[in-house]
Amino acid sequence: MWLPIIGLLLGITLGIMTEFRVPAEYSSYLSIAVLAALDTLFGGIRAHLQETFDSNVFVTGFFFNILLAAGLAFLGVHLGVDLYLAAIFAFGVRLFNNIAVIRRMLLSKWQAKRSEGQA
Amino acid sequence: MNRKWIFTFVAFVIGFMLAIQFKTTQEPVVRDTRDIRELRNEVEQEREREQQLSSEIKKAQDLLAQYGHTLDEDHENIDVVLDQQIADLRTEAGLTEVRGAGVVITIEPFYDELSPNHMRRTPTPERFRYLINELNVNGADSIAVADERLISTSAFRDVNGITHLNYRRLPPLPLEVKVLTDDPERLHNRMVVSESVEYFEIDGFLLTVEQVDDLILPGYDQTPRVRYMEEVKEG
Repeated sequence: MWLPIIGLLLGITLGIMTEFRVPAEYSSYLSIAVLAALDTLFGGIRAHLQETFDSNVFVTGFFFNILLAAGLAFLGVHLGVDLYLAAIFAFGVRLFNNIAVIRRMLLSKWQAKRSEGQA
Repeated sequence: MNRKWIFTFVAFVIGFMLAIQFKTTQEPVVRDTRDIRELRNEVEQEREREQQLSSEIKKAQDLLAQYGHTLDEDHENIDVVLDQQIADLRTEAGLTEVRGAGVVITIEPFYDELSPNHMRRTPTPERFRYLINELNVNGADSIAVADERLISTSAFRDVNGITHLNYRRLPPLPLEVKVLTDDPERLHNRMVVSESVEYFEIDGFLLTVEQVDDLILPGYDQTPRVRYMEEVKEG
């Protein structure tokens, strides 16, 4: 449970400590990649709670989604169509869905635990 | 166990990307790239400013002492100090006649009046602005063009091909530009070799610079209007 959070914190500190910066014209790609990664992460958490987690699907989905999102943004820039909006929309909707499902499952788990304790 | 490590890895990557994105979107760090010479220059400028400010403080303190003095001595005399100050301010604003040593620049046609080369009746506002700037750079205190006093809001304007100053058209040539300064000789020398002389020549006007010991500049005779300024209330 705590290991992923420690990993997140470690990543943030490492990212802040390095002097690495993305050029301003590529920052939109990175932001969309972050969005895709977050979507995959929450999808993974949901799958974990629903007991349908498959590590291969998760890892490939993680990288593939990031690449797809960045590629879509790249294509959009070169076609002059704001294709990254499609990625933002899709990932945004899925993010909310996943978080809603996670919330409900955690809530039902907690309620079940409480009624068990009372009984 | 394996699952946990995968989550940790993904969280690590996300954290890393978030941090980099956060740093990228923040304002880039502006480095101080001034070298010693520039820094010295800046120190010099600040010092000058300090001097200026302290002299202003001294002036204000003198005035305060004067007020205090008259208050102590006799209460009737306070008007005198106030009048004196108003007169000082009017002089500074260019509303009064001033007298002193200075330089007279005469503007004449470079060519014969009848020659086909002469095009304009008066030099263009741009030329005048250039000339006034040069005069100011070289230490002019007060300037009058054709007995029209320049104040801080004076402007040269082109109206139907004739140059106007202070909303009045400049008279035909020859014109006299009277300049008061602390160091007339220096101003004279600088103006003799100034670029304005050449620029006026290009337009067909001849500038003659002359040093004068006793010069009278008229005051600004219109009502100075302040339209776009407001008083700032000091807390």
